[in-house]
Amino acid sequence: MPDTKALQQERNSIYEDLFNNKIPKRVPINIGLPFEPIAQYGGLDLASAQWNPALVEEAADKICQVLFSDSCPFGGSIRYPSYYQSLESQSFVMGSNGFIQHPEVVGMLPEDYDYLIEKPYDCLLERVLPKQYKALKLDDPFIMAINFAKSIMAYQNDTMQAGMIIAKLKEKYGYYSGADRRSGGFTEAPFDFLADQLRGFREISMDVRRMPEKVAEACEALYPIVLKKGMPSAVDNNAAVFLPLHMPTFMREKDFAKLWWPSFKRMIDEYASMGIHCQLFCEDNWTRYLDYLYELPTDTRLMFEYGDPKLIKEKLGKKHIITGLYPVTMLKTHTKEQCLDKAREMLDVLAPGGKYFFSTDKNPLTIKDIKLENYCAVTEYIRDNGVYSNAGETAGLAFNRDDYKVDPSASRKLESKYYRTWENYKAQNPKVSDLGESKLQGFEEMIFQYLMFLLL
Amino acid sequence: MVDLKEVTQAVGDLDENKLMEILNGFVSENPTEEEALKVVNACQNGMAIVGELFEKEEYFVGDLIFSGELLMEAIKILKPLIGSSSTAKVGSIVLGTAHGDIHDIGKNIFKSMSEAVGFKVYDLGIDQPVSAFVEKIKEVNPNIVGMSGVLTLALESMKETVDEIKRAGLKENVKIIIGGNPVTKEACNFIGADAFTTNAAEGVRICQGWVK
Ligand code: B12
Repeated sequence: MPDTKALQQERNSIYEDLFNNKIPKRVPINIGLPFEPIAQYGGLDLASAQWNPALVEEAADKICQVLFSDSCPFGGSIRYPSYYQSLESQSFVMGSNGFIQHPEVVGMLPEDYDYLIEKPYDCLLERVLPKQYKALKLDDPFIMAINFAKSIMAYQNDTMQAGMIIAKLKEKYGYYSGADRRSGGFTEAPFDFLADQLRGFREISMDVRRMPEKVAEACEALYPIVLKKGMPSAVDNNAAVFLPLHMPTFMREKDFAKLWWPSFKRMIDEYASMGIHCQLFCEDNWTRYLDYLYELPTDTRLMFEYGDPKLIKEKLGKKHIITGLYPVTMLKTHTKEQCLDKAREMLDVLAPGGKYFFSTDKNPLTIKDIKLENYCAVTEYIRDNGVYSNAGETAGLAFNRDDYKVDPSASRKLESKYYRTWENYKAQNPKVSDLGESKLQGFEEMIFQYLMFLLL
Repeated sequence: MVDLKEVTQAVGDLDENKLMEILNGFVSENPTEEEALKVVNACQNGMAIVGELFEKEEYFVGDLIFSGELLMEAIKILKPLIGSSSTAKVGSIVLGTAHGDIHDIGKNIFKSMSEAVGFKVYDLGIDQPVSAFVEKIKEVNPNIVGMSGVLTLALESMKETVDEIKRAGLKENVKIIIGGNPVTKEACNFIGADAFTTNAAEGVRICQGWVK
């Protein structure tokens, strides 16, 4: 189908321009529907479909036919039950309605701070993971090994199944082909990592007042771990490391500036110094932090949930790439005309000057969260009206990795008996050939990635 | 007797050490029940300061969470002195997170703030089915029903709950207020609630208005 190829080329080029400081031909439309609404759309039983992600292919295909998007609207899930259940996860469990629930569980006690600060990775493995994942039985090592092996294989299996569907749909419908898979990443700010699954949202708010020094030291201790967690194995200007940002809007600026921002800023700068971009989901309303966001490396991709689009564009639009802000709940509660008016407003305010792509402020969780026909009308409206007359012109400030320098001695290094570098490994196994490195070290990395993913 | 203004101020400043020092000193002097009730009241007035500072955007959600904890600790210290006699309630609220949603930080904040101004709150908890709300309304006959939800899917759950409250013929006797991140005026109309807010302090004021 030559039409599809041409469409894919157009899509690739508008994203390419977006990420390279050029005005694209039109505003790229980035729709990603989670697994659940797509399964529901196909009339599948959620509780069973999530056990076999391949089942959702037909439904995903149908969505592609009705809902216009430049990126593939099916992105799979990062939360399949197979791997969480084989580890008896406490923090991700399937509810009666088939949804994977993420209840708040405290994974680390206040008295664990000292150990976390002393040996962060050891503390995460020895104390936090077994608390969140009951199948990691410290007193039953073989059972533990078997459960862990099963879980990581399930993860690879399910991710691959979904990945195959995505690849097929990209080909079939000519979606933006996207950057090299190895050049993306997923992690959290050190403070958010500490808040989410270690201390919990409630407890961390106590810690900020009761023991701020420990919180600051813990962020430093976690720095090399979360940095490595997000680190892509290849650098590509079109790719990005994704970080959802959780706690700042809950905090006073004073606490934010002291405890949340410094390690985060250094981390984003460190990525930038390697030519790596980040995509940040600024959850909730970041209006009072826009000046901080301005300080981040040029072409940081910022997805906003709430806030005044005008102010955001004014303050950040020349430097960063903006997305989000379209209220997904409108698609359910408002008429089609009102939804289109909002789409027009988004274009009027955010599109001029480029460095903007369309997405909603958050994903719908179920198919009932949106009226699909409204959603379709909105993305088609953006496609037809988000057209630039000055395509090809320079958009704003240009990214230059040499602008970012981070002193490596400013941060701690990852040192733990549970993570071996190739040098460590060789020291213990002097006869090993370097031909084994890419394989064995690849698995070492994979296991590190998976273990930390379990805490994200 | 302690300086009640100081108690109020310590709560308002979220100064845990100071508050505990005052309260422990107070308890060690074998105060009367009446005196203890005055101190409880002073703590509650402190919560009002917290609410005001929150509305002025000097405090944020983390501070509200902390203030809830402070109040709980204070009550724990003072409770043994108060015995069974309780202050007169200004009204009652049945509160819960709508089904399908397990978030409760916002709900808990609203709960401690409305308790601080004298409401009796029946907290159902998270992920509450329609029937739980209906049963509780029948049982305790509250002035107000409060529903919380931060997931977009909670809007649908809230609507189902309100529909069922109406079907059971209970709507006449209660006011319904909804809160949480995705709640808007349109969502409120869609759901059929009487009021909505994304700000707990405002929610408390609305409820106070209803029981006047
Ligand atoms: C903290 C949090 C969590 C914690 C919750 C801990 C807990 N005990 O509640 C954890 C980590 C457990 C969690 C889990 C999940 N979360 Co969550 N979470 C959040 C987060 C970061 C903050 C929510 C919050 O507590 N806000 C603070 C409170 C204080 O705000 P609030 O609820 O609006 O309350 C205020 C007012 O509205 C009011 N209020 C609240 N209730 C009431 C009630 C009444 C009667 C009144 C008058 C007032 C009132 O008072 C409060 C103070 O003013 C949001 C992001 C965000 N920006 O909001 C995501 C968010 C809500 N979560 C999200 C998701 C997807 C999930 C999960 C489904 C993830 C998963 N796949 O498992 C699960 C939930 C599973 C389930 N079935 O519920 C999405 C929802 C997307 C959507 N379309 O709805 C969000 C929006 C993140 C995002 N931007 O994508 N989450």
